[in-house]
Amino acid sequence: MDLIRKASQWASGKSPWILHFNAGACNGCDIEVVDCVTPRYDLERFGVVKQGSPRHADVLICTGAVTLQTRDRLKQIYEQMPEPKRVIAVGTCACTGGVFDGCYCVTGGIDTVIPVDVYVPGCAVRPDEIISAVERALSLKTDGEGDKK
Amino acid sequence: MEVLQMLFKVLLFPGFLFLTSYAFAAEYIDRKLHARMQNRKGPKWYIPFADFFKLIGKQTIIHDDAHAGIIKAMPVVSLAGVATAFIYIPVVGSSAVFSFEGDIIIVLYFLSLPVLTQFLAGWYSRSLYATIGASRVITQMFAYEVPLFMCLLAPSLIANTWSVSGITQYYSEHPLYALINLPAFAVALITVQSKLSKAPFDAPEAETEIVSGPYVEYTGRPLAFFRMSADCEEVVLISLVSAIFLPFLSGNAVIDVILYFVKTLAILFVLTLMRTVTARLRVNQTVTLCWRYLVPAALLQMIVNLIVRGWLA
Repeated sequence: MDLIRKASQWASGKSPWILHFNAGACNGCDIEVVDCVTPRYDLERFGVVKQGSPRHADVLICTGAVTLQTRDRLKQIYEQMPEPKRVIAVGTCACTGGVFDGCYCVTGGIDTVIPVDVYVPGCAVRPDEIISAVERALSLKTDGEGDKK
Repeated sequence: MEVLQMLFKVLLFPGFLFLTSYAFAAEYIDRKLHARMQNRKGPKWYIPFADFFKLIGKQTIIHDDAHAGIIKAMPVVSLAGVATAFIYIPVVGSSAVFSFEGDIIIVLYFLSLPVLTQFLAGWYSRSLYATIGASRVITQMFAYEVPLFMCLLAPSLIANTWSVSGITQYYSEHPLYALINLPAFAVALITVQSKLSKAPFDAPEAETEIVSGPYVEYTGRPLAFFRMSADCEEVVLISLVSAIFLPFLSGNAVIDVILYFVKTLAILFVLTLMRTVTARLRVNQTVTLCWRYLVPAALLQMIVNLIVRGWLA
């Protein structure tokens, strides 16, 4: 049993499956997330596979400031993911709310709704920064070890 | 001693251990080839193992509406069915671990099990996507199962035996007769692709429409074993097709094992090529393709083979 636990510990950093969620972004960061799976960046080199179901995902990649419309859905999707799970906030809006902060229909950054492990600022974020963020999110051993705001 | 030898054959080579390792290797080769054909670099060799062990270590969520017993049992049933089918398929030369007259029927029966377990898994997940996926799985099964059975049974008419080992033995002695079965070989490749639910027949798992079909609610260990059983099913199917349609043997055990890998990898290459260059068919298009074109082709092959058999006798 110990061997299997060790193997799954080793494996947990080698095969991150990502789920992409648009919480209200302008689509700029989303295109950069999609860029990661194109031949130029090819995330599958690192074992990253884009999944459709939150049940299969290890890493939730969120873009955009959270609008009132997506708030409950974002929370639901986060709760549907199996442990251990990591959340990456991609883009300035996802980190702080960005230019939409204080808007009547926006609650702010992703961390106003769900705990975030890694912040990637930028408008829009570059694909290589997303790749290094995924790598970093998986190297975190325990909860609350990620970026401090 | 004989018992030990049997256990070695069933559990290690060419049994369960060989099957699972080759299955992971085949998944890697498939993904790598797919990536190279798309001008990407593709995954490293250990990624399929990492996927499996990562899923083993993850939390297993079974939501309240789902049937916990079925959700947990189905992956194991599927894997057991596939692994049992592999015992009757020759890997080294023309002799399988077990064989008897009529074992091709058993193999085809065991290979239907994964499809039925997929259906049950999707149905008892009680999720909308999974239910649609399950109904697509079973609809597609009614389309490809008949031509697949017909084209795999056609060569046995000439060989005059219903055992996989017997068919391999016969055709390795008369390799030229295998040329008669070429149309059936083409039908077999297409229907095998359909049985594996890969593009262009990936409607049951269509990621862009129904997320991942029957597996949508699966997490952790059950998902790991379902993925493993799908990989094993691929290896069993390509081994079966290569045993029946590519009967080139040398008589030397080592060379035969190398030949086995060459033949199965060639078939795997064709399947990967098919999945890279085609787009998804709708379920009704799959049914039309199978019943309007593949079944008549397989039927014609059977008639031709019956005539050849009468002419040979």
